[in-house]
Amino acid sequence: MTVGSELAAAATAGPGAPVGGPGVRKKTGSLPRVLSRDPEAFGKPTGREEEWRFTPLRRLRGLLDGVPEDGSVGVSWESVQASVDRIGMDDPRVGTALTPADRVTALAMANATDAAVISVPAEQTDALTTLVVRGKGGTAYRHLVIEIGRFARATVVLDHVGTGTVAANVEMLVGDGAELTVVSLQDWDDDAVHLGAHAARVGRDAKLKHVAVTLGGETVRLLPTVTYAGTGGDAELFGLSFTDSGQHHEHRLFVDHTASNCRSRVTYKSALQGAEDKPEAHAVWVGDVLIRADALGTDTYELNRNLVLSDGARADSIPNLEIETGEVTGAGHASATGRFDDEALFYLMARGIPADEARRLVVRGFFAEIVAQIPLEDVRDRITAAVEDELVGVGL
Amino acid sequence: MTFQTACRLSELAEESAMHVELDGEPVCVARSQGRVHAIYDVCSHAEVALSEGDVEDGTVECWLHGSRFDLTSGKPTGLPATRPVPVYAVKVEGDDVLVDVESEL
Repeated sequence: MTVGSELAAAATAGPGAPVGGPGVRKKTGSLPRVLSRDPEAFGKPTGREEEWRFTPLRRLRGLLDGVPEDGSVGVSWESVQASVDRIGMDDPRVGTALTPADRVTALAMANATDAAVISVPAEQTDALTTLVVRGKGGTAYRHLVIEIGRFARATVVLDHVGTGTVAANVEMLVGDGAELTVVSLQDWDDDAVHLGAHAARVGRDAKLKHVAVTLGGETVRLLPTVTYAGTGGDAELFGLSFTDSGQHHEHRLFVDHTASNCRSRVTYKSALQGAEDKPEAHAVWVGDVLIRADALGTDTYELNRNLVLSDGARADSIPNLEIETGEVTGAGHASATGRFDDEALFYLMARGIPADEARRLVVRGFFAEIVAQIPLEDVRDRITAAVEDELVGVGL
Repeated sequence: MTFQTACRLSELAEESAMHVELDGEPVCVARSQGRVHAIYDVCSHAEVALSEGDVEDGTVECWLHGSRFDLTSGKPTGLPATRPVPVYAVKVEGDDVLVDVESEL
C-alpha cells in the first residue's frame, strides 16, 4: 500500500499550449459540433446553446473566462496495487479519451499545469485507489487520468470535499478485457462550484462502471462520456443526487456506440427538496446515446427517475437516442419525474410504521439500486447516512 | 437603501425595457402605462434576459417560452414560469431613473 499527499501551491499558471486545431465535425444530432483542446474554438456561451441552456452561467465564477488559478486543492490518496504519479499535460495519455466539447472543459485542460495518473498494470487484480480532492477555496484546475492495463481489475474512488471553484477533468482508459469501477463522490460544502468532464474509452471486451454521487455543492455540472475502442465493451453509468434549495446539479451523459456488439446502461436517480421561499432546487439530467451505422448488435438502455419531495424544486430530464443502424439488440430509454408515492406511504403506515420513518424507507428504497452498485461498504454507508441526514434536515 | 442611477428616462421609450447591471445584478428597467419598473433581468424558468422581451399592459414577456411577468409584483401570469422574479424600488428624479437593488419589494 502506498499513501501519498500533495498540496498544489497557489499558482498563476499561463494556459498550456493548445494541441490540435479546431475540429469541426459533420453535424448530426448528438455529436458535439466542435471538438478541440483550444478554448478559443468555442464561443463564450450565452445560455442559448443546447449544452448550456440549463446551467446558471452567472454562478460559474469566471470558469467561462478561464480566470487564472488562485486557489488550491489538496490531493491525497491511498492506493493498493496501483500507482499514482504526476505527468505533464503533454503526455500522450492526456487527451486520449477526452477531447473537449465545450469551453469550460477546454479551459480546464489548458489551465491545468500537470495531470495526476492512476495506473494499474496489465493483469493486476484487486487494485483499489481512493483519491481525496479537498477544495481549499479559490479557483483551481485539475486533470486526472485513470489507466487500467489489459485484463486488470480496479476500483477508483474520487472523493470531492471542501469548497472552491473547481474545473476538473477525468479520463478513464480501460484496457482490453479489463474491468474498472469509478465512484465519484461530489460531497462538497454548500458553496462549491464543480464542473468536469469524465471521459471513458472502453477497450475490447472491457467493462466500465461509473457511479456519480452528487450531494453537495452550489453548482455541480458533470459530463460523463463513453466511447468504445473495440467490440464487446460494456459501460454502466449510475448516478445518485440529492438536490436542496439553491443547488444546481447537472449530469449530462453521452454514450457514443462507436464499435459493434457493445452494451451500455445508464441509470440516474435524483431526489429534490426545495422550499417555496428559497432559491430553486434544480436537477438536470440529459442522456444522449448515439448508435453509429457500423455499431451493429448494440444493446443500450437509459433510465432517469426524479423524486420531487416538495415545492420549490425543478427537475429537467431529457433522454436522446439517435440510431443510425436498425441492426441493434436493444435500444431504449425511460424517464419519469414525480412526487412522493402516497400509496407506498400508506402501505407502510398501515403496518404500524410511523410516517417519518416510512418516508425515509421509501427514499432509501428509491436509491437502493444505485447505492448497491458501489463495491465498498464504508462508501455505501456514508452515502446512505448522508441522504438520511438530508431528509432529517428537511423534516422528512 | 442606496438608489443609483440606472438609465435616463429619455432613453426608455414607453412600453419598452432595457438591461442594466447594478452591483453585478442584472436588472430589467421597463416603462409601461406611464410607470417605470425595475425587476431582476433573468426569467425564473430559463436563463433568459427579460429585458429582451416585449412590454405590454404592465407586464414583460419572456421571448423564449412566453411567460409574462407582472412588473409590479414580479409574478408570472402564465406558464412555464411558476416562481416570481425579484422586484426593486425605483424612483424618477428629473430625467434620471434610480434603482435600489438592495431593497427587494
